[in-house]
Order: sequence, then C-alpha cells, then structure tokens
Amino acid sequence: MTDAPSPTSFSRRSFLKGASLAAVAGVVADRASPAPGTRPGGTTYGPGSHELELVVNGEKRKVAVEPRTTLLDALRDRLDLTGTKKICDRGSCGGCTVLLDGQPVNSCLLLAFDAEGAAITTVEGLERNGELHPVQRAFVDCDALQCGFCTPGMVVAAAACLQRHGRPSLEQIRADLAGNICRCGTYGRVFEAVQRAAAGGGR
Amino acid sequence: VSAPHPARLGFRDVGEQPGVARVVDVRLPAGDLPPWDLDSKLTVVGGAVDRVDAVAKVTGRARYAFDAAPPGLVHAAILRSPHPRARLVRLDLSAAQKLPGVVAAVALKQAGNRIRFAGDELAAVAATTLDQARDAIEQIAVEYEVETHQTDWLQAEGAPQLDAEGQVLDAWPAGGEAIDQALAGAAQQRTATYRCEVQTHSSLESHGVVAWLKADGELEVWASTQGTFGVRSGLARTLGIPEPRVRVHAEYVGGGFGSKLQPGAEAVAAALLSRECGKPVKLMLDRREEHVATGNRPPAVIQIRAGLDAGGRLCAWDYRSFGGPGHTGRGGGTTMPQHYVAQLPRDRRRVQQVDLPSDTDPARAMRAPGRPQGFFATELMLDELALAAGIDPLELRLRNDPHEVRQAEWRHGAARFGWAERRNRAPGEPRDGDPRVLHGAGLSSAFWGQMGGPGNRVLCRIHRDGSVETRNGAQDIGTGMKTVMAMLTAEELQIPVARVRASMGDTQDPPGPASGGSTTTPSLSPTVRLAAARARQKLFELVAADLGTAAADLTLRDGRITTPDGNGVTFADACKRIGAEPIEAIAERERNYDGFQDFVCGCQFAEVAIDVATGLVRVTRMLAVQDCGVVIAPKLAESQVLGAMIQGISYALHEQRIVDHRSGRMVNADFQFYKISGPADMPAMEVVMVPVFNGKNNVGAGGLGEAPATAPAAAIANAVFNAIGTPVRHLPITPDKVLRALSRRNGG
Repeated sequence: MTDAPSPTSFSRRSFLKGASLAAVAGVVADRASPAPGTRPGGTTYGPGSHELELVVNGEKRKVAVEPRTTLLDALRDRLDLTGTKKICDRGSCGGCTVLLDGQPVNSCLLLAFDAEGAAITTVEGLERNGELHPVQRAFVDCDALQCGFCTPGMVVAAAACLQRHGRPSLEQIRADLAGNICRCGTYGRVFEAVQRAAAGGGR
Repeated sequence: VSAPHPARLGFRDVGEQPGVARVVDVRLPAGDLPPWDLDSKLTVVGGAVDRVDAVAKVTGRARYAFDAAPPGLVHAAILRSPHPRARLVRLDLSAAQKLPGVVAAVALKQAGNRIRFAGDELAAVAATTLDQARDAIEQIAVEYEVETHQTDWLQAEGAPQLDAEGQVLDAWPAGGEAIDQALAGAAQQRTATYRCEVQTHSSLESHGVVAWLKADGELEVWASTQGTFGVRSGLARTLGIPEPRVRVHAEYVGGGFGSKLQPGAEAVAAALLSRECGKPVKLMLDRREEHVATGNRPPAVIQIRAGLDAGGRLCAWDYRSFGGPGHTGRGGGTTMPQHYVAQLPRDRRRVQQVDLPSDTDPARAMRAPGRPQGFFATELMLDELALAAGIDPLELRLRNDPHEVRQAEWRHGAARFGWAERRNRAPGEPRDGDPRVLHGAGLSSAFWGQMGGPGNRVLCRIHRDGSVETRNGAQDIGTGMKTVMAMLTAEELQIPVARVRASMGDTQDPPGPASGGSTTTPSLSPTVRLAAARARQKLFELVAADLGTAAADLTLRDGRITTPDGNGVTFADACKRIGAEPIEAIAERERNYDGFQDFVCGCQFAEVAIDVATGLVRVTRMLAVQDCGVVIAPKLAESQVLGAMIQGISYALHEQRIVDHRSGRMVNADFQFYKISGPADMPAMEVVMVPVFNGKNNVGAGGLGEAPATAPAAAIANAVFNAIGTPVRHLPITPDKVLRALSRRNGG
C-alpha cells in the first residue's frame, strides 16, 4: 500500500499489488465500516434486491441491486451509465476503471454495496459544463483510440494519473496505466495524449 | 466504356529515396471518375483530421452492442460443454425454467448431437439479470456420453514427427527433385522448422448481440460484428424471417480482428430466446467464452529448406506447413511472403499445406490470416541464410525482393532506423558494453494483396442548410472508415469535414462489405466519392439555369460553385435552393481499374534488449514504413499501423493459448494468464506512411488492416536472433525459450 495517499483510501496499483479481493474488502470496510453483506446495525441482506444510494458524478442515485452485484453492473445495467466497460470482469484489463473518492478502481472488483457513501466518478462525469476534460481533448487530438472500447477506462485512469502527478513522466504514465489493456494497440498515442494534457495544464 | 484516361501514377520521393511515376492509360467504366493521381490537388485527403467519432468514444457516449438497452431488456447466458468430445444424451431445461427471473430457455443442441470442443454451446437462458441467467444455466440437467478426445493437434494422424529441438524428422515429399539438385549446388543451404502457438483474437468487446423479435415480426439486432449484412442474412435464414424484416445495428464495434465475420451461435441463441419471451435479449459472451469459443489464429509447424547461390540470391525454396485449425480440420494454412520466391523457376519453389484436426475450437480468420506465421518462418530462415553467407540481412532483401515500392521502403527505413549502426555485428556478443544485456536489430517485409471491389452502394445527401450526409450500412470496427467517408465527401464537395456526417452500421442503409481482408476502405472509398460527385451534379443542375450556364460547365472549389466566365454562388447559398427533401444520390460502381500496382507493401524494423540472466526480451524500438495506396487520413492510418505492430509484439513475445490435454480445456482463458502486451511493454515506435497513387479505382486507397500485421513478429524474431546469435524458432519468444537457446549456444 506504499502509494496510497492516506490510510483510508487505496489506489488501483496498490490494489493490484495486493492482488486479493480480501484486501480490497478490508480496505473498503475500513472506510465504510460494514462487513460484506451487512449494514450498520448488523442487518443481513440478500438474496434478492435491496435499494441503496450511490453518489455518481455528483448526483445521488437510488439503485436496487442484489448484494452480489458489482459496482460495474450497477452502473451499467441499473443506471444506464454504459461508458464504463465490462471487458474481463476480473480486474485484469482496466476497462471498468472509475474513480472512487478520486482514486482509480476496477469497478468489476467492487460490490455496489461497498461503494455506498463514496463519490463515484465515471467517464460520463469527466466533462465540465459541456467541455471535454483535458485528457479527453488530448485523446481526440492524438487519436489515442481506435475501436474505443478500452478508451473510457484509459481516459479515467489517465485523468487520475494527471491528478496524482501533475506533470507525469513517461515512466509514471506507463506505471499508472499498466493495468489498462488495449487490443487495437493505442498505447503510444495514449502516452502522448496524457503528456499533452499535462502540458496543457490538466484540470 | 469511355476513352482511356491518362493518369500519372506512382509515388513521390520517400525521404532520400526517389519516387516512381508512370503515365498509365486508365480505362474507366461508364459513369465512373478518373483516379486521383500524382497531379491531383487534394485539400482534405491526406490532411490532419480527427477521427469523427472520437468525442463519442472518449466521453463514453458511443453505444456498442454491449451497451444497447432497449426497454424491457433481459440478460442471457449460454451453457457450454466441459467435455471436448461427447454425444449429448439428455438436455433438460425444466429446472432452470422455474428459477426466479427466468423468462426463456432454449436448447442449442438436441439429444444425439455431437459435442466438438470444450466450450461447445448446449443451451441458453434469459432472465431479468445476468446473475439470474447464470444461476439458471447451472440448473440445466445434461447427460453426456463422453468420448476419448485428442486436443493436441500434433498427435493427430498425419502429424509430423518432431525431434527434441522441434525440428521435423519426416522426409520431404516426392516431387522436389529440382529443389534437391539446386540445394546440392547452392553456396549456402539450410533446413529448419519454425513453430507458432494459438493466438486468440481477444477483442475487448466480446461477441454478442441484443436481439429483439417484436410482436409485429420484425427482428431488431444490435450486434458486435464485422459484417452487419452477414448477420442480417444469417439470422433471417436461421429464424425464417424475410431479410427486409431484420434490421442490424453496429454503430460502434469493440474490435473484431477477423473473429466477428459470422453471426455466431450467440446471435442465434439471443434471437431464439427473444422469440420465446418477446423481450429484447442481451447475450454478450464473457472473457472465458471469448477465449474458448470464438475462434483463434491456429498453431503451425513450418519446415523450410532453402538455398542461396554465390550471388546471395535464393536458388531453391521448399516450404511445408502443418496447421492445427481445430475440429473442422480446415483453415490452418499459413502464407509466406511470396515476393522473395516468385521469380524462381516453378520447379525450384514449392509450398505445401497440411491441416490436422483436433478437438478444439475452430480457427477463424485473424488479421492477415496465415501471414504472421509464414512471414516469421520465412524471414527468420532468410536471416539464418544471411548469417551463414556473411550477407547483411538488408542486403539479402534488396537482392531478392524485386518490388519497386518496397525497394524504396527498405532503403528509407534502414536509413531512418539506423540499421547499419543498430545492427549487432557480432551476434551473441554484447553490443553496448554491458554483458548482462544483449542487443539486436531485425527486419521483415510487409505485404497484402487485396484491393477490394464493387458490390456496395453509398448514399449521399445534401441538405438545404449545407450539411451533407454520407451513408453506408457496413461497419466501422475501429479502423476509421467513418472518418474516411467524411473526408472523401468533404474533398469532393470542397466543404469542411465538420459539415459532413458519416453514418455506418445500420442495415437500413445501402449495403456494404464485411470488414475482412483489408477490403472495406478500398471497396467503399471510390463509391463514397462517386456518390458525392453525383450529389454535386444534382446541386449543379439546381443552380445552372440561374447562373445562365449548363450544369456540365460548373466547377466547385473552396466552397464556391463557379461558371466558366467567373460568375458563381457559394455552396451554402446554392444549398438554400434545395427543398424540404434533401438532394439524394446513390452510387454503385462497376469494377476496379488496372492502375499502377495491386499490392500493399511495407517493411518493419525492430530492436530488442535481452536480459541474459532472465531471458526476458524487451522490444525497445520499432519502425514501420508502410504504403496503402492513397493515404486518406494519415493520423488514423498511422494509428492502425502502430496497432498492428503492437499486436505483433504481443504475438511475438506473449500470447499463447494453453490447453490441458487431459481435460481438453484451455487453462488460461482470461487476461491474467493469457498475456497480451500492455503499457509497460511498449517500445518507442514510429510509422512512415508512403502514399502510392495506384489508380486502382477513382480514389486508389488500399486497406491497412492486414499488411502491417504481417511483419512485426518476424522482425522481432530476427532481432532476437541478431542479439543472441542463435535463432528462437518457436513463438512466442518467452524467457524459457531464450534461456534454452542461450544455453544451447553456449554448449549446454
């Protein structure tokens, strides 16, 4: 957990280093308290759906999900936020990257229940007042995409990289994006785009 | 047929290398346009234009099949056989049908049907949520009569015998006497066996559809496909629905690479489930299914014997390839770079192919099918011969590759890459002082021969507000075809690209090709241009009388329609004459032209650094020099070449399907243990595009999907050979193989 900015949050890198769901659940439990499947007060949930409130892109959204539903499925199938992609569904590709309290996480490895109370930012939430995020603008300028299916995850991870480093070096960009894979082969142009966005001041 | 049109075809200087220009009399079919040539003044084509759907993709607004969510959507999953070879005895859906949320269940195989691979489809269930559908398929009762399987294709009947080093032991087939003789008299001769493993396509959007068979009998489908019209006809046939009542959408497609050319069992299953429940059914495969049941680049064992004469020219070539395409026993062929041997007498070159069946998922076309394998074997054999003969590998290519464009590309690429300096002159020895890391450089040719053709139509509309639409029902799978359509239309109508809306991926629009074999761009581009030209003609007819001249005398340049005596009207003002209904023109074309040349060529250079302690290979630098006819959208073209190089790095170093032959199942069907190259694996990369005005049609564009994918693994394998002084003849070049090669070289 060397690069976690505070003891109560976690980054995707530390998350991958930990490489176990148990570690994730533990960290999230530290922040949000409840053990998996329970809420404050010791209630047991499931089987069947229960309503919870997620804060997504600054909006409170009610969503009815089973305790086993991942944050990814809740975003995509319940809230119709389909920018976040399901590719491997096992934390190996980065396609489902969202920001949880500003930190990039694989939303396929997180239960929706465990995201309650956190500020969730998806790719749809990066624009401000109709303006593209500098990373999005730079992806367009550099043609850092082809089929586009990995792109939302790349964009979110890249935005987090900028947030973290300000003017990241090429090595920092590679390291921060190491969990995002692209089959069309856009990596080099993604690196260029992140550097370009950083040079332009980021956000 | 109109009179021959003289066109100055060829290519301009490539850096310091002189270009080639030839005046060719092009025979034009009636109604088609003369080809763009070296004298054409193009203002949009060849310029820096952003991908037209880039904003939709970076914002997450682009809706793929995986994202389609019509009202009432339900989710489906497929039950697959765990056994590679069996007969289905009983399939009982009743327990699954009773589970909460389940709305439909269908059998995809009947009792008595054969099961041909681990992952073969048995049944599908639709439910309110995907989790419920997955719960339900586990409750389907299945009885199998399990049969003995053979998933190791090299154990099939007719498979070659290999020695401990993987070299084929079988005698060469009869009929090669002239080759025997030539090799006996050759200055250098060599025999070696090369091997490639299974690569899965690993498109990031999995295969699948949302299918909705509505009460009125219309089937609407959102498909992740490389062939919208093929999905339409396939589903129409399977479900007995007239084709016009099937509509397929594929506005965005998350990769395909050859694996999405057919509707597939998943599309059929979703449509059958929708027929049963009346709701839209979403059936997208998961990552495991994607690896085990949607095809692959098949494995190959390729043996070559070849000789060089005293002048460093190939004097004999014998190539036999064994492929393992899975249970169909078809499609395992490899293809070598023919340009090196085409000039040999017929009896001194031979290429043979044997396919060996096994109980695995059938091969499907994958980006330049057969070529990365055949190029790897051939280019590495050429370097082995070059080292034996003491000839620089580049010089060997220049002597044996007669193609006039590639001759310039080889020379320019070598100069730009620094071939002479970066090459390890003492293969196996440290080049840069540090004995822990060996460096080397390698190269390979790139090639593709398909130039597309007619059989498609394009619709162009000009609206009274001056905006323009160009529409075709085929798909843009990420190559940038929509951008190409917008640019060609903007060029022909002399308006900004932003005024053009290019639409693809809806079978309500005019028919277009499946995206396979680098044919989409060369097939559609000239039709797009022709449609725009016909729409322009209609606009001319609308304003000609007012301008006091004939439509035929008008010209359009820089947003202005002009008469011979200099009067005119802006394009925008001319459009105001259009009524509520836009101008519409549909174009179709008859055939390609003879043109300048048929091929898409290129070459690539790679540099590697190899840690001798771990055997880890890192590609540190790559350069591609690539043509593809007229380069319409350079930024996107370069992206596609870079992508092919990166996929090639992955194929050369990482990718391998691992099957446990006892169970017959793939054991690394995920992205954790099936490794594809990631950000940390990237070298410095550069692409030089070489525009060739080929005159093959009115645009002269070639496709770019395949050609740059033929070379990278070969160039990397040659760089490894140059670094360590001994060839690694088996892809992927993983550390274990490098260490074994180093140990062998050191006499271990």
